Amino acid sequence: MSHARATPTVKMGLPIPNSKLGTWLFLGTEIMFFTAFIGTYIVLRLGSLAADGKPGWPTNPEDTHIRIWAGGLNTFVLILSSYFVVMAHEAMGARNFARARQFLQLTFVLACVFLGIKAYEYYGKFSHDVLPGHIAETDEQAIRKVLREMDAVVLGRLNEYLPAQARDAELTLPNKIDLAGKNEDVSDKEARRHAVELANEFINFKGHVLDNISFKIPLERPESIVVTKDGQQVRGFVPAAVPGADGKSVFKIQSADGKTIDVLEENVKELKAGAEAPPVTLAEVEDKLTEMREHEIKEEEEHEGYGSWLSSVHDPHPILYGNLFASTYFLMTGFHALHVIVGMVLFGIVLMQGARLHAGWRDYVENIGLYWHFVDLVWIFLFPLIYIIK
Amino acid sequence: MTDTHASHHANYFLVFVALFICTLMSIVFDVIHISNKAVLIVLVLGVATAKALFVMSYFMHLKFEGNWKFVLLAPTIILAIGLPMALLPDIGQHYYLYAAPQTQVQPQSHADVDEHDASSSYPPDQAPADHSQ
Repeated sequence: MSHARATPTVKMGLPIPNSKLGTWLFLGTEIMFFTAFIGTYIVLRLGSLAADGKPGWPTNPEDTHIRIWAGGLNTFVLILSSYFVVMAHEAMGARNFARARQFLQLTFVLACVFLGIKAYEYYGKFSHDVLPGHIAETDEQAIRKVLREMDAVVLGRLNEYLPAQARDAELTLPNKIDLAGKNEDVSDKEARRHAVELANEFINFKGHVLDNISFKIPLERPESIVVTKDGQQVRGFVPAAVPGADGKSVFKIQSADGKTIDVLEENVKELKAGAEAPPVTLAEVEDKLTEMREHEIKEEEEHEGYGSWLSSVHDPHPILYGNLFASTYFLMTGFHALHVIVGMVLFGIVLMQGARLHAGWRDYVENIGLYWHFVDLVWIFLFPLIYIIK
Repeated sequence: MTDTHASHHANYFLVFVALFICTLMSIVFDVIHISNKAVLIVLVLGVATAKALFVMSYFMHLKFEGNWKFVLLAPTIILAIGLPMALLPDIGQHYYLYAAPQTQVQPQSHADVDEHDASSSYPPDQAPADHSQ
């Protein structure tokens, strides 16, 4: 082969610019990247069964805060922006750079709209705490979450009335209540009374929940069952045995209807300590939370400035497989949104050229167009998989 | 502008209209509440596939590209399908006894909970007896 005979028309490799080949290779890796997420989402979703063997994946919009109109609108926004990108590429080919810029500007604006709607959706998830690792999946988890959030609220409220050195000290809640009550530097004593009341009510609340005793039974009187040797059962509050008239020790059991039943200690076979007391239920915890909130609002009306602290406690709402749902949702839509942001940067680079845009940018516009269409493609599949299939 | 390029000119607006109609169809399928889930899945994924084909064929010009598109995209698509397929028997299908802890919740007795509380980390700064004060 002679250099003299080299013909410039013969070109090795593919009949496309190298940058376009590079873009397509990159998109090839992107296909695998997103199908890994989408594929695992489908597999996990298929694998998440409820106790009855039926699909257990959360699909109720009340649970998931998935809004079909938001997803549909975003689909429309993306296909319109894809259309604008392709028109921008056409305009670049026709050397109409001003028109190309206009289309790219419209695409950029639509990308912002997409992210705006996405942000609205994310806000709904954050405000309802539909976040990976935050979601209670059973009643017990939901009850404990209420307790944990209330604990933070009560401590925050109480800290305002604690001496500075006691705020970060590792003290128990009753100790802190005590210290706050005695603190002479507090100017608003009425507000402190409110905070201490809230804290005491919370301690009572927590006592019930941790003992898993229904709120219907007063905490200091957990119901017990005394089983006698002849097989009888006596239900009621059982104080410590006391010496009876004849010197033998006696349990004076106070039954729920106010009677006192004496049982000789020597006749007792077994003492079930509250084991038969009805356990606290999620509905009870919800009612109690509502009651405490209402009380707080009433106090706030009477004495402005207390603030509605308990409004930051989320309503207990267990969602089976909610954490898996939230993880996959945020992983897929989050990476998609990141791709949208990268696309905006790529569009921004062209738009920054302003009137200097020239034919040399044609391949660049084609390549970012390909990328943008791919971002659109991903959303085309995310939309039915996340928003529609229930 | 070359002649070969001119042949790429599809009517992009028509493609956009087709995509728009497909999106509306997806939403209609959701709104009319198709009770048979399998039918719904086939319909919406069918529509999504149609949309994807429109975008790839016309917006991404794949319809007009040379055969290199097959060489370049086939391996990635095989690998992309391979991953879910490999995971499916393990997690997505239950040929073994299924036991997710969330679904196995039994009503607990009082004693069980007491025991659980004593060992639980909540609350970290407080012994369970504190509530009695």
